[in-house]
Amino acid sequence: MIQHIIKLIWKKKGSNSLIMLEIFLSFLVLFAVLSLVFYQTDRMNAPLGFDIENKWLIQIDRKYKTDSTNLDGIFVDLKRELMATKYIKSVGICNAMSPFSGSTMETVDDAQGFPITTRLVYADEDFAKSLNLKITEGRWFNEEDKSAIYDPMVVNKYFIETYFPNQNMMDSTIDLNGQKKIIGVMEDYRYTGIYEQFQATTFFFLPKRKPQMAVLSLDLIEGTPLSFEIELNELVKSLIKSTNFTISNVSNLRDNTHKMTWLPIVIISSICFFLCFNVALGLFGVLWSNIQKRKSEIGLRRAIGAHTTDIAKQFIVEILMVAAFAVVIGLFFTIQIPILKIIPIDSMIFFRAMFFAVLIIFAIVSLCALYPSNQAARIHPATALHED
Amino acid sequence: MPTANGLKKNMIQINNLSKVYRTKTIETTALNNINLHVEKGEFLSIMGPSGCGKSTLLNIIGLLDEPTSGEIKIDGNGIKTYNSKATAKFRNQRLGFIFQSFHLIPDLNILDNVELPLIYRNIGRKERKRLSEAALESVGLKNRMNHYPAQLSGGQKQRVAIARAIVGKPNIILADEPTGNLDSAMGNEVMDILIDLNKTSKTTIVMVTHDANMAKRTDRLMRLYDGTQIQ
Repeated sequence: MIQHIIKLIWKKKGSNSLIMLEIFLSFLVLFAVLSLVFYQTDRMNAPLGFDIENKWLIQIDRKYKTDSTNLDGIFVDLKRELMATKYIKSVGICNAMSPFSGSTMETVDDAQGFPITTRLVYADEDFAKSLNLKITEGRWFNEEDKSAIYDPMVVNKYFIETYFPNQNMMDSTIDLNGQKKIIGVMEDYRYTGIYEQFQATTFFFLPKRKPQMAVLSLDLIEGTPLSFEIELNELVKSLIKSTNFTISNVSNLRDNTHKMTWLPIVIISSICFFLCFNVALGLFGVLWSNIQKRKSEIGLRRAIGAHTTDIAKQFIVEILMVAAFAVVIGLFFTIQIPILKIIPIDSMIFFRAMFFAVLIIFAIVSLCALYPSNQAARIHPATALHED
Repeated sequence: MPTANGLKKNMIQINNLSKVYRTKTIETTALNNINLHVEKGEFLSIMGPSGCGKSTLLNIIGLLDEPTSGEIKIDGNGIKTYNSKATAKFRNQRLGFIFQSFHLIPDLNILDNVELPLIYRNIGRKERKRLSEAALESVGLKNRMNHYPAQLSGGQKQRVAIARAIVGKPNIILADEPTGNLDSAMGNEVMDILIDLNKTSKTTIVMVTHDANMAKRTDRLMRLYDGTQIQ
């Protein structure tokens, strides 16, 4: 029977090729959208590496003071004053690479004999505590590091897995913009957002390196009233004698970033949905028209011994086989992406996207074929044989 | 054909058969109290004006339609008790159909068209081919088996349809105006094949026709008028 159906499909290759093209293009679009969604959800489900609840940030506008030394002094004063308030458990300082800031500082160094690309973040000894950074090995910066002869650095797990896989790098010295000693490994610091791609991140000790301070990170006690923001605002204003600063809630920043990232995906997914809907309508129409044209054939098949289920099966299998040809061609092209590593992300994302795109295509095709095929099976043979 | 006790076996037995088409407003009697017995190996023709119920009767005999009342037995089998699967199987194994407009599938070549009933009988590819070639040979079209219907004349198409009808070696062939679309020469050619089939393989044939000359060549004639049997 399958061979018989293949013959029928082949003889109708002209009209079937248009259906195949439609399914092929839908498959490609579905694959692209699903890859993007899986890529985003994979990153969304990965740990940020720090906490966001009850965390606030104070960003002071750099235009406020041009003398960075003076600004650093103000940050230290601010930190001391803030710690004196009853709602703040800890205060850390970092440069502009604060949670959800969008700022990036990156370095590429091949002094190790191979290129190391890593983002750089400068933070003080209390920064990890203030955001509850998850240290998996070694330790975070402390007071002793200020006077140590070595230049300490804390890296994320991705850094080790990428550049020094299967090696114990604790207390090792590497050449990264000069000799640095790895004193700790943290889970991660995906500070630009929950959809940030996995990448190597390195913390340098802020007091040791003296870059411009930019952000204070605050760890507040649970149940801190919102009114504290007013109090905090007044305190900062009085200390820096300016209003050029911003107080933000880290969880609000996360939500805003989230919206910004999902918006294009929602738009693309909506377009994809309408495309699939149109494909479904098109398929339904083509099948319906096919069945009307083939009434005489249906009547004949019934007369020579086909049961109603044979008729329904034939039409469903015909369209499923056309879809299968289109999907195989689609798979041939899409599988090149993970095989040739055209896009350097986890291959499993593409394989998952292929799998679900195939499932969705076959679900759409089956659903569209179900009703017309059922109607074909219900055609009365005596009536069909007299329609010519 | 006489049975062991000397009586001829009834291949088709129709008793008090009626067919009424009903709509919300109108009731049309297509067949009214038909009684018909067709013996095994008999060639019966049914004649009558258009709309007298000839094709309806043929469809009922061919299990493509159901009677409103009455009884029909084919080869001793009461058809009323059959479910749709059994009916389809019965049609496939015991009946062969020939239509006025041939009903060949244009996308399949001649051999594939003839094979069609065997596909629903789950016969293997090689065996299907062998049987189909034999059927085509019997109608003189083996040399055309790779052609498509569009490449054949009307008479040749009808011969293909005959090959398709006989490929499964059915007990009964039901022909609905098989010469209706053919000129007299081609019509006679087709009729010769049917008569030969009836004589050599003792296949029972019931043929609906408008053509009195063709009807004369059969064993018996039944006439219908407005759904009623008049001869």
